[in-house]
Amino acid sequence: MRRMVVAGFLVVLSVSGCSAMKASDAGSEPASRTGAVAPASAPQSPPESPPPPAAPPSAPPAAIATPAVTAPNTPAVGTAPSSSPAKTKPTLVARPPAPAGTAPAAVVQSKPQASAAPAAVPATSPSPQSLPSLNLHDLEQRLRDTRAIGVFAKLSLKNQVDDLLSAFREMYRVPNRRPPADLRQRYDLLMLKVLSLLQDSDPPLASAIASSREAIWSILADPDKFSKI
Amino acid sequence: MAPRLSAASLTIAALLIGAPVLADDAGLGKDLKATIALQGMPCNEIATTKQNGDSDYSATCKDGNRYHIFVNAQGRVIVQKL
Repeated sequence: MRRMVVAGFLVVLSVSGCSAMKASDAGSEPASRTGAVAPASAPQSPPESPPPPAAPPSAPPAAIATPAVTAPNTPAVGTAPSSSPAKTKPTLVARPPAPAGTAPAAVVQSKPQASAAPAAVPATSPSPQSLPSLNLHDLEQRLRDTRAIGVFAKLSLKNQVDDLLSAFREMYRVPNRRPPADLRQRYDLLMLKVLSLLQDSDPPLASAIASSREAIWSILADPDKFSKI
Repeated sequence: MAPRLSAASLTIAALLIGAPVLADDAGLGKDLKATIALQGMPCNEIATTKQNGDSDYSATCKDGNRYHIFVNAQGRVIVQKL
């Protein structure tokens, strides 16, 4: 009888120990990582209606259709979060749009500039013209490292990202092309897939990616920027 | 005394080893479910999984759908409905 009591006690002790291990494992997330988005200033707010003060009033309709100007500022997707497992290396630092109407709001740089990111977006002035800074390399690494997405799902996402990039490359073979609506839809869908996988298990990364959506799209939609990635 | 201790040790060892295995199974099921969903196919919850080979699984969902999930030679994840 005493033997049974001792054995039962050991069983209960080990089961409780196992459950404690499982709970701690499920909650483990890379909380120490710093977000790719610059601090707290309006992280989800791409400029919805940046005033084009210097836009030439006599611009013909064909000039309005240039992708570098219109694509980053499309208001239809400004509220829904999205993301992409970006495979690109260059660092993107968002800046207020230049006075010239053709200048995009984000600038691709070939080398990472850690010091430029905090200065680009001041924390106290959530100007509508400022985009959050984006470090694509950091986002990519965080996506690789996150435990919120399994190996199969990560590989499947990578396949889909590669397919999307191939579609963009194919499109840009013809000069003076702008991304059609279906590519934007594919991009948005991919973002939603990534976010749905991350939002419960890795909310900081999901937030960082969601706030970087328009900046990433601005790279994809600009042939010059796209050619650099 | 020795048999008693060894039995207890075996019990504890079995439980400690079994817990991570169960956790791995749960992680695999979650991964396969996400992979199926990423391909746009329905699966409410993974009921059973079976490993056919390296990066090659069969999964049965609780709603009755069965899938073959594997990585082909080109490195693409393929989800085939069985």
